[in-house]
Amino acid sequence: MSAPDQSSIPSGKASRIAALAGAGAKVGVNYLKHYGKRAFSGDGDRSELDEANASAVYSTFSRLKGGPLKLAQMLSIDKNMLPEAFRTQFAQAQYSAPPLSYPLVARTFKREFGKGPLDLFDTFSQSAKHGASIGQVHEATKGDQTFAVKVQYPGVADSLNSDLAVVKPIALQILGLSDMDVEPYFQEVKKRLLEETDYSLELERSISLSKSTAGQVEGIRFPRYYPELSNRRVLTMDWIDGRPLDRFAREESDQAVKNQVGQAIWDFYQFQIHKLKQFHADPHPGNFLVDASNEVVVLDFGCTKELDHEFHRDYFRFLDLEVLNDPQTFEAALRQLGVFSDDDSPRERELILEGAERGARLLGRPFHDGEFDFSDETYMASIFEMGDDQRKNTELKQIKSARGSADSIYLNRAYFGLYSLMGLLKAHIRTG
Amino acid sequence: MNQDDIIEKYIHSLLETGHPPASVYAFVKNLEISEREFFAQFASFAVLESHIWKRVITDTISSVEDSEEWAGFSSQQKLLTFYYALCDQILDRRSFFLARFPRLSKGDKPSQSLCGMRHAFTEFTGKILDSGKENGEVACRGSLTRAYPLGLFGHLLSVIEFNLDDASSGFERTDAYIEKSVRLAFDVIGTRAVDSAFDLFRFLSGRSWGPSGQS
Repeated sequence: MSAPDQSSIPSGKASRIAALAGAGAKVGVNYLKHYGKRAFSGDGDRSELDEANASAVYSTFSRLKGGPLKLAQMLSIDKNMLPEAFRTQFAQAQYSAPPLSYPLVARTFKREFGKGPLDLFDTFSQSAKHGASIGQVHEATKGDQTFAVKVQYPGVADSLNSDLAVVKPIALQILGLSDMDVEPYFQEVKKRLLEETDYSLELERSISLSKSTAGQVEGIRFPRYYPELSNRRVLTMDWIDGRPLDRFAREESDQAVKNQVGQAIWDFYQFQIHKLKQFHADPHPGNFLVDASNEVVVLDFGCTKELDHEFHRDYFRFLDLEVLNDPQTFEAALRQLGVFSDDDSPRERELILEGAERGARLLGRPFHDGEFDFSDETYMASIFEMGDDQRKNTELKQIKSARGSADSIYLNRAYFGLYSLMGLLKAHIRTG
Repeated sequence: MNQDDIIEKYIHSLLETGHPPASVYAFVKNLEISEREFFAQFASFAVLESHIWKRVITDTISSVEDSEEWAGFSSQQKLLTFYYALCDQILDRRSFFLARFPRLSKGDKPSQSLCGMRHAFTEFTGKILDSGKENGEVACRGSLTRAYPLGLFGHLLSVIEFNLDDASSGFERTDAYIEKSVRLAFDVIGTRAVDSAFDLFRFLSGRSWGPSGQS
C-alpha cells in the first residue's frame, strides 16, 4: 500500500479548505470519468467509481490528521454508513498519517519528562514506525528490551474545533450524507478525541483491562505498559512483532489458523461484554496484531465503555429466539430499552417495530445456532443492505429523534466492528 | 559587576516599573556602581537590549550544538531543533520579550536593536544551509541562494511573534507552527518545483502564448 504524499501538510485554515476542495474536485472528476465511460461502453462499474472516490477522499483526510482522521476511522467502523470502497480506504488511515519530525518528538519528551528520548532509552528511532490516529509510534530499546513508544501530535485538542468545522460541509458533500446523519459523529469525535488526548487515562484503562482479562481468554495477550515511561503525551509499551489483523487476513492461507484467531477475538469480546461488563469499543483491524505464534495482541484502549447491569440484561434479551418469535414480548422488550416515545403515531410505531425486528434477527443470527460461518458473504451483504435501506427510507428518516440509550450505539458499533473483523477473517467460530 | 549582572538588574528594573530607567545615572545609583563601570560594558540602554536579543540566539545555538545527536541531524532537523530550543529560551525571558521585543505586527520599526541577533542567526543558518547544499536538501540557485539566510531571518521573527501571541496550553500551537512552516520552507528551498516553475515562466515569457516556436 502506498502512503499518500507526506511531504506537505496543509497548515493554515485556508490551505486546509483548499485541500478538501481538492478532494471535492477529484470526486467530481471521477464521476465525469464514470459517466464518460458508461456513455462509451454502456457499462460503468459503480464500485470502481466508489473506489476512485474513496482514495481521493482518503488521501485528503489523511493529510489533515487529528480530528478529520478520527472521523474517517469512525465512519469506517460504522461500515453500514459507507460504501465498501470508502471503508477499506478509510481503514488505512490507521497506518499512514504524515510523520512528525524527530526534533518535535524530542521536544515533547523534554517538555513532559524533562529529559530527551536518549536520556530515557538506549536507542530511539528518529522516524516513526507507524502512525496512530492522534500520534505516532517509535521503536526504542533499553538494555535487551524493545519498546513501542507512542507520541502524540501537539495541539490536537486545540485545533480540533477548527479542523472539524472546516471538514464538515465538504465531508457532507463528498460522502453524500445529511447533516443529521453526521452531527452525532462530530459530537462524538470531539468528545472522544478530548478524552484520548490524555494518554495517562489510556494507560490506566489498558493496565486495568489487560489485568482483568489476562489468562481468561485463550489466544489473547496484551503488551506490558510502563507507567514510569509514560505520561499524558507519551505512552510506552512492549514492542510487539506482529501483523495487523487485516494484513494477517490477506496473507494467511491456512483457514484453520484464521478460525483460531477469529475465535480468540470473539471470545475476548464475549468475555468483556458479559463478564467484565466493560469493553474495548474500537474493534478496528489496526488495533489487533497477530504474532508469530498466532496469538492476538490487543492494542489501543483509548476508548473503552462500561455497561450497566440493567442495560446489559435488556439488550441481550433480543438474542433469545423466544423473545423474537413472540410479538408481545418483543414489543415489551423494546419498550424497556426506551425505543418508543409516547407521541409516536401507530404508523411510526409499526415502522420502528419492523426495523428493530429485522435488525435483531439479522444481527442475532450468529448466536442462534451456537456456531457461525462468517465467510458467508451474503450475510455481511445483507447487513449492508439493511443499513442502506434504513438510510434511504424517507419515512424512517422522519423519526429522527434519538431512540434508545447511547450505550446501545457503542455496543452496536462494537458488534458491527466485531462482525466485520470476523468477515475479514472469513472465520468459522463457536458463538454459543 | 559583569555584563550578565547588569542585564539582570536592567530587566528586573524595567519589568518592575514598567518602563526603562529614566537615565543611566538613575539606573546605576541603585546598582551601586559608577556610570563609568556601566559604560565600560554598554554604550547605551539600546545597546544593552540589542545584546539581550543576540544572547538569546547565541545561547540557543550553543545549547543545541552541544547535544550528542546534533552532528547526525539533517539541515531541516537542525533548524527545527534550534527553534524548539529557542522557544524554551524565550520561556525564561517571556515577560521581557512581551514588554520589549520589536513587533512588526504591532507597527514597531524593524529596529537597529535586532542587528546583532540577525548577524548571529544568519551566520548560524548559513552553516546549516551549506551542509544542506552538500547533502542535496538545499537547491543551489546562484545569487538567489544568498537571500536564503535573510528569508529565514524573516521566518525567525514570525516564529517569535507567533510564540508571543500564542495562548494555547504549553504554547503547543507554536510547536505546530514551527513544524509546518519549517517543512514548507525546506519544500521551497529544497525541491526543484520552484526552478521548474521559473523555467516554464521564462520559456513562455517574451513569446506569444503557445507552442508556435517562432521568436
